Amino acid sequence: MTVRKRLLGVLADAALILYFVFALFPIAWMVILSLKPANQLFSTYFSFTPTLGSYRTVLGDSEGIPFVRFFVNSLVVSVGAVALSLLVGLPAAYASARWRFKGSENLMFTLLSFRFAPELTVIIPLFVLYQKLGLFDTYVGMIWVLQLVTLPLIVWIMRSYFADLTPELEQAALLDGYTRKQAFFKVALPLVKPGVAAVSLLAFIFAWNNFVFPLILTSNEAQTVTVGALSFLGGDRPKYNLTAAAALVSVVPPLLLALTIQRYLVRGLSFGAVKS
Amino acid sequence: MIGLRGISKAYGPVTALDGLELDVREGEFFCLLGPSGAGKTTTLKTVAGLERPDSGTVLLDGEDMAGVEPYDRGVAMCFESYALYPHKSAYDNLVSPLRSPRHRLPAAEARDRVHAVAELLGIGALLDRPVGRLSNGQRQRIALGRVLVRPARAFLLDEPLSHLDAKLRQQMRAEVKAIGDVQRTTTLYVTHDSVEALALGDRTGVIRDGRIVQTGTREEIWYEPHDTEVARAFGRPRINLLPGTVTEDGGFRSPDGKVELPVRAAAPAGTQVLVGVRPRDLSLTAPGHELTGTVYVTEVLGRSVEVTVRLGDQHVSLVAPRGDTAGLRPDDPVRLTVRPENLLLFEADGPEGPGRRIGKR
Repeated sequence: MTVRKRLLGVLADAALILYFVFALFPIAWMVILSLKPANQLFSTYFSFTPTLGSYRTVLGDSEGIPFVRFFVNSLVVSVGAVALSLLVGLPAAYASARWRFKGSENLMFTLLSFRFAPELTVIIPLFVLYQKLGLFDTYVGMIWVLQLVTLPLIVWIMRSYFADLTPELEQAALLDGYTRKQAFFKVALPLVKPGVAAVSLLAFIFAWNNFVFPLILTSNEAQTVTVGALSFLGGDRPKYNLTAAAALVSVVPPLLLALTIQRYLVRGLSFGAVKS
Repeated sequence: MIGLRGISKAYGPVTALDGLELDVREGEFFCLLGPSGAGKTTTLKTVAGLERPDSGTVLLDGEDMAGVEPYDRGVAMCFESYALYPHKSAYDNLVSPLRSPRHRLPAAEARDRVHAVAELLGIGALLDRPVGRLSNGQRQRIALGRVLVRPARAFLLDEPLSHLDAKLRQQMRAEVKAIGDVQRTTTLYVTHDSVEALALGDRTGVIRDGRIVQTGTREEIWYEPHDTEVARAFGRPRINLLPGTVTEDGGFRSPDGKVELPVRAAAPAGTQVLVGVRPRDLSLTAPGHELTGTVYVTEVLGRSVEVTVRLGDQHVSLVAPRGDTAGLRPDDPVRLTVRPENLLLFEADGPEGPGRRIGKR
């Protein structure tokens, strides 16, 4: 019995390690790739002269490709999209959790359906619209279109957070002499802070990782890292080492963000799952 | 002071309030008593403006409150769930009304006021704690304190003592009534505990299925209950209700003929009725109308004893001083007496509802 148990344990460990290798290998490969000098790119596997040259190139002169600007664009566009979604989405989530009004369920479903629709189905008309409206390749245009990604997420997740709060807390605030707006800001909002942190991070990652919208709706001025990193593959010779370095650099902000608000994240994602 | 005129409220197919009428006078402590689901909390929230009635009028000081926001009604409410702000300390919960635009006080005055109320409620030492780390009894006091800390036209208290254990509940019941602000301020107090209602209420309203069945002083509710259900709700052990019919001379006879009582019923002979008599109104020694039966069981309640007596097919319980019951054993024959003025007469309970009290001739 114990032998069998131990054997099962060893097998389980082995399976886990196998999966671990499988999952981490692409990332390790990217790291290796980014450290290779250009002349050893295709001639070596694991033994090569490591160099930070690729990173220097990507963050420096970049061979005519303004990667640092793409990076800043990504930051501006993603942060902007999340901020706008919070601004609009938190009141919307609160209202839809607290009040049933005519068509409220339909409205919520319509919002959610933005997430069902593949981005490619709307991209051509959007491209035409953006060209006509002068939104093509602008921050405003990108932040606007990313609302399709971030807004439904924020509204739907925050709605369930607000629904889990008993309305009696805000009612108590009303009787304490606060207005409805103050009851929202002083009572309801502070109590869903962990949820706001968690959902903001998720929305930021989705916005940051979005590829199709910047691919079609930007060209240079507002282009983001996801599309920008590919620029290194163009030209006469694909520069895989630069692409890998660019990709790894572009992972840093979401990673840092996730680590800093980890404390909130765990609380936020488990909040509401358990009735206190 | 508080007036509710024909208030109706439905949540989908469920009727919460059904033409409710209620008047609470200035300075009065009014208890609203009813089982859960009777519409007690909805009534309070309607007065507070947290629920909008489908029809009917809410009056405060004779003013129609339609369209007046909760924060403009000037009433304070203690929720059954306490509704304390979980992210704040006890102090911040208590001071919350005094920081609001309606009741703002300068910080120093607010602090003095909070400390005075906390002292009054015996929670002065807890003020720095987050409310999550307080016991139920302590939370209840904070919730009550948040009501008392600010000036109010009326206090609305929703089962403030229901989550406390029996001992604490009894202690708090005495304390609540003794608080000066509560004595001076019109208070609408909701409870499902009839003992609490009788102990606290200047007047009590009995609510059932979204309507007020009876309103009155404790004497009125006790001696002239509107129907059998109201009679059953008050008093432990419960009132004895014996089924029978009205006789030719206005008396009462049980179906087996073993119990006859001089009730002077204002009802035609043959009417199906219930005779009600409270256990403390039956005696083993005092003079009165006599009945004979056998002892079924006795139970010591402390200084008094509850004796259950078999009268024909019926059982009645009575509460007697311990001295009167010495030597009583099951199946012993026993003689009971009752004074005819303590008998209550009701229509028989029907499918439409509990039987109503019938007047006497």
